[in-house]
Formats: sequence, C-alpha cells, structure tokens
Amino acid sequence: MATISFDLVSPENLIFNDEVGMIIVPGKDGDFGVLPGHSKVMSSLRPGRVMVYGEDKNLLKAFFVSGGFAEVNPEKCIVLAESVNEINTIEKQSIEKEIEELSGQETDVAKDQLAIAKAKIEALDSSFYEKI
Amino acid sequence: MPSLKDIKTQINSVGSTKKITSAMKMVAASKLRRSQEKAEAARPYSSRLEEMLASLASSAASGEGIIKLLTGTGNDQNYVVVPVSADRGLCGGFNSSINKETFRLVKSLEDDGKNVQLMPVGKKSRDFFNRVMKDKIFDSFADLNVSVNGYDAALQVSNKLQELYFDGKFDKCIIVFNKFKSAISQEVTQQQIIPLDVSDSSKEENVDDSAAKAIYDYEPDEETILKDLLPKNVSIQIFKVLLDSDAGEHGARMAAMDNATRNAGEMIDSLTLKYNRTRQAFITKELIEIISGAESI
Repeated sequence: MATISFDLVSPENLIFNDEVGMIIVPGKDGDFGVLPGHSKVMSSLRPGRVMVYGEDKNLLKAFFVSGGFAEVNPEKCIVLAESVNEINTIEKQSIEKEIEELSGQETDVAKDQLAIAKAKIEALDSSFYEKI
Repeated sequence: MPSLKDIKTQINSVGSTKKITSAMKMVAASKLRRSQEKAEAARPYSSRLEEMLASLASSAASGEGIIKLLTGTGNDQNYVVVPVSADRGLCGGFNSSINKETFRLVKSLEDDGKNVQLMPVGKKSRDFFNRVMKDKIFDSFADLNVSVNGYDAALQVSNKLQELYFDGKFDKCIIVFNKFKSAISQEVTQQQIIPLDVSDSSKEENVDDSAAKAIYDYEPDEETILKDLLPKNVSIQIFKVLLDSDAGEHGARMAAMDNATRNAGEMIDSLTLKYNRTRQAFITKELIEIISGAESI
C-alpha cells in the first residue's frame, strides 16, 4: 500500500515527520482527507484536529492545531501550524476555565483565544474513527 | 620595586577574574547549544513557508491591503531600520558591530535623501542609539528573551511593524542582525523584510517548474491564503532573526570569555614569575646584608 510523507511543523520545531497512510486536515471550508496521490492543494486551516492514520488505516496520532496552512502534493503533505498540542495532552477542565476567563473580555486577542479554546473543546468532544 | 604582598594581591585578583570568565564561558557554551537547537528546530517551518510563498507570489497582482506586504507601497522614501543586538554586554564585538553597521546604513540612506527611522531591538542597541540619534527612534524593544518566550517575542516586534506599515508610516523595513555562522563566527547581515524580498532565494528553481506550481488548487482561494500567509511570514522572518541573533550572542560571548580566560592565565603566569624573582631578590639582598655585616666584625 502506498504511503504519503507527512510533516507537521510549528514555528518552534518539527513535530511529526513520517510516512503515513492518510491524514485528515481541518481546512477552512471543511475537513479534508489526504491520501497518497492527492492532487495539489494549498489551503488555510481553521482551529481543529489533524488526524494521522497509518498504512493500515489505524489512528496513529491526533493533534490539535490553532490554525495555519497545509500544502499537499501527490507525494507529500505539509501542515504549518501556529501552535500544536497532542489531543490526549489537552485537559478539558483547564480549557473550560480558560473559556470562562476569556468570555468576559472584549479585546480582539481575547476573542481569538476564545474561538481557539472553544474549538479545542469541540475537538475533544467530537467522535472520530479509530480505524477506517 | 613592588612589595611581595602587592604582587600576591594582584595574582589573587586576576585569579578570581579568571574564575568568573571561565564560569561565564561554560554558561555561554551550554546556552549556545540550547539556542542553536532552537534555531535549527525553527528552520523547517520558515523554509517551507518560503516555498509556499514563492509559489504564490508569482500569481499575486498588485493591490490594496495586506498584499502590500508583498508588492510594497510603490514608494521608496521612508525607511525603518531595525538593529537587533543583545540585551547584555561582555560578548566581544557582537553589539558594537551591529551598531556600527546600522549607523553606516542610516548615514548612507540619508545621503540618498531618504527619511530613516529606527526601531532598535535589544538593550545594547537601544542605549547606543538613544545616545547618538535619539530623534530618529520611534520605538524600541528590550528584554524580549526569545529563548524563553519563543515565538511570542517575535510577534511583538512583527505586530508593531505591521501596524505602522499599514498606517503608512514607512515604505521599507530593513533588519540588521548577526547571522549565526558557527559558534565562533557571526556575520552582520542586512535583510529587507517589508516588502517581502522573494527574488533571491527561490527564483532559480521557480523558472523550471513554474508551470508545475501553477496547477495548485487553492482553498478557499489564492488571495485569502496569501492574506493569511504574508503577515505570518513577516513574524517568522523576525523569529528566525531573533533566534539567530540569540545563538550568535552566546557564541560571541563564549569566544570572548575564552579569550579572557586565556589572557588571565597568561597574566597569572607572568605575575608569578615576577613574584618569584622579587622574592629571590629580597633573599639575596638579605644574605648580602648578613654576610657583609659578619665580615665587618
């Protein structure tokens, strides 16, 4: 079975770099899956989940990204994310606390952070396939 | 002739200086390793961002708004120069070479009839330009601490610059910094970050496969992506510069402290020699006195 090389990069470091079977990327206009041989796409991302599946279509890793870009060509998929957390390291309670603190504030920065925090909760709550 | 006690005190004080400099060298060496790792870790992001930009830039038409980060304002009159220095001294010529180069650049731009303003980053260049051309400074940053604060430090600078740019306060921004070449050598470099300079890095490969690059699908569309990408690119470029400068600072300090330690060692050797000679001279003198005293009886 063919594989596609996948890079997940944040400004501070290279987080993931390996050959994988499939990636699901949270594009601005909706999630899209990337399989080997995907056509060339460049997309902005919304805050959401990046799911990485292995060659046998088992879930390898799940990340939360707060936005960024994805570049896809038939051999390679690159995700440039602003901040990246592995999903299972996110603590729901601390995010909920953060939302409470932020929801009263009016500044643009606070609003952005609030949107990201809400997306995190959504990413934690929504279901996903362990195997496809 | 200095007394033995004087020389002894001098040897001791040089000895404690040597201890300090060699400790600073060790600290700088370990910090250097860490910031070098950080600088290397940041490289994949910026190089990939550049690739993406290069393939998009060709398709960008001139326009209003954020696109101006790429195409420029159309003017060439008002410059902002951003010298990036360290916050602390004792690192050889690291800070002064930045200040000198910036000073030279400002003068040459002014000779061409441009308006120049300064936005120093780092305490050492801020203090320097506060002394020599205070009227040109319109903002400064110090204690950014990029090794601790990471990307946020770069965001502060980049947000300020972009705010000013879109207010029409300047047309071009040039950043002057120490490029990290190796642990012992840094190179003073000028880089234009606004408007973006895509010409040098990616032109050559672009010629061959510009046809291949053009067939990308864009989601949502090219313009939206470019609008997201450009401000981010400025921040990333600044982040890269800050990391380079941070690594360079530690490298420069390590080299400077290594020299200082060696000098102190040499000084201790020569002082010890002097001490022993003086001691011998005293003994000889005393012996002569005793002998001549005994003879005269």
